[in-house]
Amino acid sequence: MSGAPDLPGWAALLVGILVIAGAVMTLLGSIGLVRLGTFFERIHPPTVGSSSGMALIVLASMICFSVLRSRPAVHEILIAISVTMTTPVTFMLLARAALYRERLEGQSTGDPGDEDPVHSD
Amino acid sequence: MLKVTSESLLWLMLALPFLGSLLSSILPARKRNTAGILAGVVMLLASVVAIGLYSSISEGSVVRSRIPWLPSLGLEIVLRLDGLSWLFAALVLVVGFLVVVYSRYYMSPEDPVPRFFAYLLAFAGSMVGLVLSGNLIQLVFFWELTSLFSFLLIGYWYHNERARSGARMALIVTATGGLCLLAGVMLLGKIAGSYDLDAVFLAADRIRQSELYLPALGLILIGAFTKSAQFPFHFWLPHAMAAPTPVSAYLHSATLVKAGIFLLIRFWPVLAGTEAWFATVTTVGLCTLILGAWVAIFQQDLKGLLAYSTISHLGLITLLLGLNSPLATVAAIFHTLNHATFKASLFMAVGIIDHETGTRDIRKLSGLARYMPITATLAVIAAGAMAGVPLLNGFLSKEMFLAEALDLHRESFAGRTLPFLATLALAFSVLYSVRFIHQSFFGPPPQDLPREPQEAPRWMRMPIEVLVVACLVVGMVPALTVAPLLGAAAYSVLGPNTPSYSLAIWHGFNAPLVLSLLALLLGALGYVLFGKRLNRQDGTPLVGVFKGRRAFETVLSLLIRGARRTMEFVGTRRLQPQLRVLVLAACFAGLLPFLRYGYQGGTKVGTPLDPAFALIWLVGGICAVAAAWTAKYHRFAALILMAGAGLVSCVSFVWLSSPDLALTQLLVETVTTLLLLLGLRWLPARSRDLWPGSRTPWRVRFRRGGDVTLALAAGSGIALLSYAIMTREMPNSISRYFVEHSYPDGGGRNVVNVILVDFRGFDTLGEMTVLAIVALTVFALLRRFRPAPESVRSPEQQRLQDASDDAREGRERGDTLADYLLVPRTIMEWLFPAIIVLAFYLLMRGHDLPGGGFAAGVTMSIALILQYLASGTRRVEDRLRVHPLRWMGSGLLLAVVTGLGAWWFDYPFLTSWFRYVDLPLLGEVPLATALLFDIGVFLLVIGAIALILVAIAHQSIRTTRRRPEPPLAVKSGEEEA
Repeated sequence: MSGAPDLPGWAALLVGILVIAGAVMTLLGSIGLVRLGTFFERIHPPTVGSSSGMALIVLASMICFSVLRSRPAVHEILIAISVTMTTPVTFMLLARAALYRERLEGQSTGDPGDEDPVHSD
Repeated sequence: MLKVTSESLLWLMLALPFLGSLLSSILPARKRNTAGILAGVVMLLASVVAIGLYSSISEGSVVRSRIPWLPSLGLEIVLRLDGLSWLFAALVLVVGFLVVVYSRYYMSPEDPVPRFFAYLLAFAGSMVGLVLSGNLIQLVFFWELTSLFSFLLIGYWYHNERARSGARMALIVTATGGLCLLAGVMLLGKIAGSYDLDAVFLAADRIRQSELYLPALGLILIGAFTKSAQFPFHFWLPHAMAAPTPVSAYLHSATLVKAGIFLLIRFWPVLAGTEAWFATVTTVGLCTLILGAWVAIFQQDLKGLLAYSTISHLGLITLLLGLNSPLATVAAIFHTLNHATFKASLFMAVGIIDHETGTRDIRKLSGLARYMPITATLAVIAAGAMAGVPLLNGFLSKEMFLAEALDLHRESFAGRTLPFLATLALAFSVLYSVRFIHQSFFGPPPQDLPREPQEAPRWMRMPIEVLVVACLVVGMVPALTVAPLLGAAAYSVLGPNTPSYSLAIWHGFNAPLVLSLLALLLGALGYVLFGKRLNRQDGTPLVGVFKGRRAFETVLSLLIRGARRTMEFVGTRRLQPQLRVLVLAACFAGLLPFLRYGYQGGTKVGTPLDPAFALIWLVGGICAVAAAWTAKYHRFAALILMAGAGLVSCVSFVWLSSPDLALTQLLVETVTTLLLLLGLRWLPARSRDLWPGSRTPWRVRFRRGGDVTLALAAGSGIALLSYAIMTREMPNSISRYFVEHSYPDGGGRNVVNVILVDFRGFDTLGEMTVLAIVALTVFALLRRFRPAPESVRSPEQQRLQDASDDAREGRERGDTLADYLLVPRTIMEWLFPAIIVLAFYLLMRGHDLPGGGFAAGVTMSIALILQYLASGTRRVEDRLRVHPLRWMGSGLLLAVVTGLGAWWFDYPFLTSWFRYVDLPLLGEVPLATALLFDIGVFLLVIGAIALILVAIAHQSIRTTRRRPEPPLAVKSGEEEA
């Protein structure tokens, strides 16, 4: 980044801490995704990355560019809004599909009249 | 103020018929009189212009007007009027006017007459263009145009099978000749060094001595012979008689067939004078003359008789041109003129007979003179001219012909027999003329005709009267009437070599006169002896077994069958071999330069590899390889992996600072993945054990191995190529120019966008058109798409849900799905306006910052796809107006109109204009017409993607015709939704 050396020391420190914190959060989320067992458990950790990780990095960006341009840079908020709007949709779709399948399987074991809904592939 | 010069009159004469044709073609089908008057006025005006131009060429001068088109290739549009072209142009237009008047009364009110006149005028225009051409390529262009319009005219009654096949035959024969002619004139242009007619005339000696002379001559002669129905290409002409009679009167007297003659006369100064010319042209002409006359005798159809007589007279003219004598050429021009007048009037007279009696069968007709005395008189005079009776124009040119035939002092077989053969052919022509007149107009009153014969209307006879008066006047006082016109035409062909000749009726009692009288006598005697027997004769003796049509059709079907065989042999409809050949060819083409010059890496030092970047690319590479690996059985996984690889390339673009590419890549990646996902459902299932016992045959393994090798070769080839290029210094390319001029000239800071909408706007327009065509093709293919049997049923999950919805009270199908998706759907619907805002933002800022019409269009279509996914096809189409075709159409239109707008300000097509405008509230805003163009791109892209989306989406709501029993289940209304 060409503008980075112009940052005053305090700001550089703050931005650095925030960015690293955000990255750590995201990494934690990814590790959780790998480590956890069931589907419904796994659905949660990635949201850490997309919520708190994203929030920290957006904050860092806002501070960095506000200081660099000596005027408040707030349009990163738009990123925050659209990410918080859209990520849940994906997870909700996944969770809903899993839930549906779970229920169907439970139902079919109880009701011998239904045909087996479990997919073969 | 436009100054009226000869040049502008030339253009007017050429443009008038085409303008009239255009106007007539947009008239309603019932506007019979309007179309007739329009065509008549246009023809009359054009004739007046032509006649008015006579003074500018009568002194042997030439009027030229040229518009440079591609001067570097020697392609110009040149109009050139000299005596010969004036004569032909005047003939075409004056006879055209008479034919239009005649057609007005001949054509039935049920026919779509405006279309007829549109064809006729366009044909006349093509003929005028042909005779006025001063450039060889232009000449061939108009030549083919006459073939095309004559096809339309002959096939005018397209509900009639004979008309259709006759038209097709005429088109195939004459257009094939036209192709030969094109090759011929290109050879000619190569020898002469220019396609300009004057330059070709100047190079006449060089052409005759060139070694390319013979091929050029052969090709040009094939062109001329096919057009003017010379043996052995004559067979199309009788079949073209299925056309309405005015068309025959026009095409086969003054125009279409005379185009071939015109060509022979036009190139006479260049090509004639050699043994090859004499041998070919004379032989073909003589064969055609005798054969045509002989067959004409045995025709029972009046139009057939005239058709073969036309062939025979064309043979006579060709024969004259072949004699290599200037005087014979004068005779040929003269006979062309005479034949046009008497043959047009005869065709029209036959048309009247057909119109008034309902038949053209010579055996049924008899004694019509008492019902239609005027028509009979006119026909008798015209037929007299055809037979060569003294005091009529046909006699004069026939005398000249006989004199030339006798003059051929050659100590050869041909030289000695020619006078006798000529006399024989003329006797035949007398015989069929007499038969035509005597059978139709004299004798007892006719029995059981389809209609009660009566005299034709006044204005229907008028054209014949004019032409017959011309026959008489020319025949009696040639020196006062036709001599100056003929002189000018002959001078323009022969130049200073023009021989002195006299057009007098009486040259003394000489040999030609004796032969002429002999021919008249023989012909009359023949009719007296054999007239009755001819009526009982079916087919032509001696040559009747040779059916030109049958030979033509055999050749045609052989060609078609051969083409089909070849297609089966070399072609395939399977995608895999096609792709294999494509990649193989690309590999080979890429390899070729390296085989020749060797491979060498550049000298530039590489940039150090950033570990993060390497990691990203490692992931991307794994994704790509895994996608290929899983593509066979796990299409879904392969698709997701492909999207991963795409994202990596997108990140690379960001890394290497090209935000525009990254943005576009991201959007395109999204749309492609989504559309492919939607399409996955319709692919047939892949079974793992395709080969029993999981034993793949060697053949298949070999093929797969070959494919892998090919893929590896192509991939590593591209990698090596890229390495070789990127390790070298960038050559000084045009990109610097674009970077420097984008803001000052294009008014935009986003160089990519300025290149797309401004510098290379025409390319973009072409690409837009391609995109539109692709979208339409995908739509057309998917509309007729029949999925594999196993994927026709709804997916299992959907069936279960539907069953559960059906089973429970108070629920409709799809309710379960709607319940499950309620929250996500609501959020996606909320996002719709947000994405639209983003799309507009990208569109507006595109000229200066990353974005632009394409990116905006893709964004917008993503919004649309999202709605389809969230709410389902029916729900979306209930609420939104999805009109992809309209969007695409208006996008293309907007782009073109914006481009055309530049013309208004006298700038070249697609020049853009920009300025800063002070808008209230927004302040100073840059405005460029390129934005309008970009909006066109935007609309087109949305339309194209939406069209593909709709085509896929509608597969699901389509009711299939799997089971034919319950007809109620087929709801055709939904299929069209």
